[in-house]
Amino acid sequence: MNEPVKPDDIDAIIHERVRLSIVAALAVSPQLSFGELKSTLSLTDGNLSAHSRTLEDAGYIVVDKTFRGRRPHTAMRLTAKGRKAFERYLETLRQIIDRGGNAGGGPS
Amino acid sequence: MDANEAENRMREIQRIMERATLFTLLPGTAAVVGGLLVLVGCAVSYAMFRSLDFADILHLPVHGQIDFCVMWFLIGVAGVLVEVILTNRAAAGQQLTSTSRPMRVAAFSLTPSVIVAMVLTVKFLVPVDARVWSMLWSWNFNVPLEPRAEEIQYIVPVWMMLYGTGVYTAGLFSIRPPRVLGLMFLAMGVIALLCFPQYGVVSAALSFGVLHLVFGLYILHKQRQTVL
Repeated sequence: MNEPVKPDDIDAIIHERVRLSIVAALAVSPQLSFGELKSTLSLTDGNLSAHSRTLEDAGYIVVDKTFRGRRPHTAMRLTAKGRKAFERYLETLRQIIDRGGNAGGGPS
Repeated sequence: MDANEAENRMREIQRIMERATLFTLLPGTAAVVGGLLVLVGCAVSYAMFRSLDFADILHLPVHGQIDFCVMWFLIGVAGVLVEVILTNRAAAGQQLTSTSRPMRVAAFSLTPSVIVAMVLTVKFLVPVDARVWSMLWSWNFNVPLEPRAEEIQYIVPVWMMLYGTGVYTAGLFSIRPPRVLGLMFLAMGVIALLCFPQYGVVSAALSFGVLHLVFGLYILHKQRQTVL
């Protein structure tokens, strides 16, 4: 029998809604530009910048900043660590659903 | 976190992943092929009746009119087939089937406006009314075909506006470029209908031809950037 889900099993970095959206979108695309992510997730510039920085600091995504002509271009992609964390998060959700219980006291 | 919240989270993740997936499913090659087919169709149409007005089809002999209709029907079928085949191929690469939600969303968004455009096309070509229905009801198929030039001129702008509406709606579930394409079709359709209905060949070439071509090349360029 599987171990019950503990509060610590829920990754607080990914659990935040906007960061979860960013990771989920990047999980199905090799790379997305800042504009594409903003448009796909309907986020503001500031919101996307702040949360992508948190994910980058955690090593979950890589942010590539380049120039296209004179215009700056920012693209993001998921790292192996980020993909693993996302898969682990999905697994945790599945366990909670299967048990019909809760992870009590963890991030909500 | 309880089971209900976990289920909501799962649904949310699924929705976001589908939305992001639609970007990589956009068939840039199909848009390029479709655009080229329409440009060829417009060139052949011009060669057939030496005019930029589709209504001049009325000056062609009956067999010429039939050839014209068959050609545009085949272009439409080929465009849809290329789109379906290439989208399915892209979807298969992402473990999606043609019945997956992103594919259904795209198909269901476009279908109503395309059906309306088809119904209006028939109405513009064949003056269907109660009299015609009563003839058909009594098994009399000798329906008079009396298309009017003015109504034929409406066909291209109506298709532009309705196709634009469908693409815009499908784009609501995806990224911005399809929405922009839909709005451009809508705007061009309105201008074509209100200002230049007599230049249907030019309107079709610029919208279904050039606009599709530019959109397809843009998507291919973006997808290449994304993959590399």
